[in-house]
Amino acid sequence: MLLGTLIYGFVNSTILALVAMGFNLTFGISGVANFAYGATYIFSGFLVWILLNSLGVPYFFSVVIAVICAALLGFLIYYVVILRVKGLALSEVMATFGLGLAIMELFRYFDFVGFRYTLPVFFDGSISIGDVYIDYQRLAIALIAMALTLFIYLFTHHTRIGLAFRAIAQDERTALTFGINSDRIGALSMAFGSALAAVAAIVILPLGTIAVEGGYDVLINALAVCIVGGLGSTMGILVASVMIGFAQTFTANYLEPHWMMLVSLIAIAVVLVVKPSGLFSHQKELEERI
Amino acid sequence: MLKVNNLMVFFENALALNDFSMEVKEGQIVGVIGSNSAGKTTLMNTLSGLIVDMRIKEIRRGGERITLYGKILFRDEDITATGPSERVRKGIVLCRERHPIFPESDVFENLKIAGYLQKRSMVLEMIQYVFELFPALAQLKSRKAGFMSGGEQQMLAIGMALVARPTLLLLDEPLLGLSPMMQNLLVDAVKSLRAKAGITVLLSEQFARPVLPIIDFGYILENGMLTLTGTGEELMENPEVKAAYFGV
Repeated sequence: MLLGTLIYGFVNSTILALVAMGFNLTFGISGVANFAYGATYIFSGFLVWILLNSLGVPYFFSVVIAVICAALLGFLIYYVVILRVKGLALSEVMATFGLGLAIMELFRYFDFVGFRYTLPVFFDGSISIGDVYIDYQRLAIALIAMALTLFIYLFTHHTRIGLAFRAIAQDERTALTFGINSDRIGALSMAFGSALAAVAAIVILPLGTIAVEGGYDVLINALAVCIVGGLGSTMGILVASVMIGFAQTFTANYLEPHWMMLVSLIAIAVVLVVKPSGLFSHQKELEERI
Repeated sequence: MLKVNNLMVFFENALALNDFSMEVKEGQIVGVIGSNSAGKTTLMNTLSGLIVDMRIKEIRRGGERITLYGKILFRDEDITATGPSERVRKGIVLCRERHPIFPESDVFENLKIAGYLQKRSMVLEMIQYVFELFPALAQLKSRKAGFMSGGEQQMLAIGMALVARPTLLLLDEPLLGLSPMMQNLLVDAVKSLRAKAGITVLLSEQFARPVLPIIDFGYILENGMLTLTGTGEELMENPEVKAAYFGV
């Protein structure tokens, strides 16, 4: 029982990290809290399903198309909607949240509800660790989450666009003096974050069915991880997802499964009371040293 | 090279620059001298195009109203409405006041970020040049920029501006908050920039004493208005300048 909880807790943590990564990236760079994030996640899931089952596109191409479409969606949302209200935090949240609601509820309106909406797993089957069985899909999630974390690190530290991301995140006006266009980089960060949501959807959704409600759960989980970890901090995301991930799995296994969703909400409430900037908020290291 | 004609800048109803005209010729070091709130930084932001971006962002969030009148000509081309990144492409690069650097990146990464618009090979070449100009930076290459002293950060900030390959370098209060020794080092560096790299420099400063000896031409700014112009020597001899800036 304990070994199983630990293993599934770890997998749950990687799922949370995967879900929070894109949200955190967009916020860390452009300062925009993308509340359409859950909608992008669901949108990508349904898009892959439609491409696969209605249009008969091979799996690999469906996935690539879905990721690209999600990125385009993010890019467009930034240019068409967010730029008009940039700098007004509340308007940004309302605009993206409203848009997210519209996208998700449109799927419900067109009757995308039911158990037939599932994505294929990468590999069928499972292995046992001790006396705990774990399917290949969950292992794949853990591996992909770790690989993506590494990829994001390398991307932001060693490519031209990645360095511009870091520059805008730290000091927008100084970045402008080197010819870095803050609007374009903001839109790119939104596109990048949305593409990450699509990747998360493609990897995680095969575990269950694609449901509109899933979009709200994803948004709440992403928010919880980001708030607990400190928005914009990669280290914070990793630590917070491990904390919340294990807490959720222990709650589900030792208390009641339906209390699981409460964990992230309680975590948000507690952190906001005790340490509102999050456990690993931005530039903490510098403040503490000086 | 650069011509400013009757520039006026308003923040809401406050006049930050009033009917300001100036000219910078190729190969010159030009100084704009003035006390706090004289309009030096507004001038620098206007010349680098930052104000164009600030204006758009203020409009978007319904904030402060920024109004611009007048004309800025760079190589006889009107750049008054050109955005900052386009101006960097043309060769106008600003080093903002209070040594702006990216605190969480190390020195090398800061310099790499500054080369955003340049080719990779060119960036490495320019970084090499910066390390020759400021040998102290080479030793701090992998130090996080936020942990460095003010003087080191100022060297880095100027180095970053150089990596962006300016033909006209704008320095906003490069000597602010630095020790006299560091001030001399930076003044020498500015001189060598013109001599070795052929970069035209426009700097703004409130410390007239270290700056006046190296400038070819100076403008004295007070409350957004031009009060005096002249070559560096003329200004140094001027009794009013002496009284206001040298305390004589």
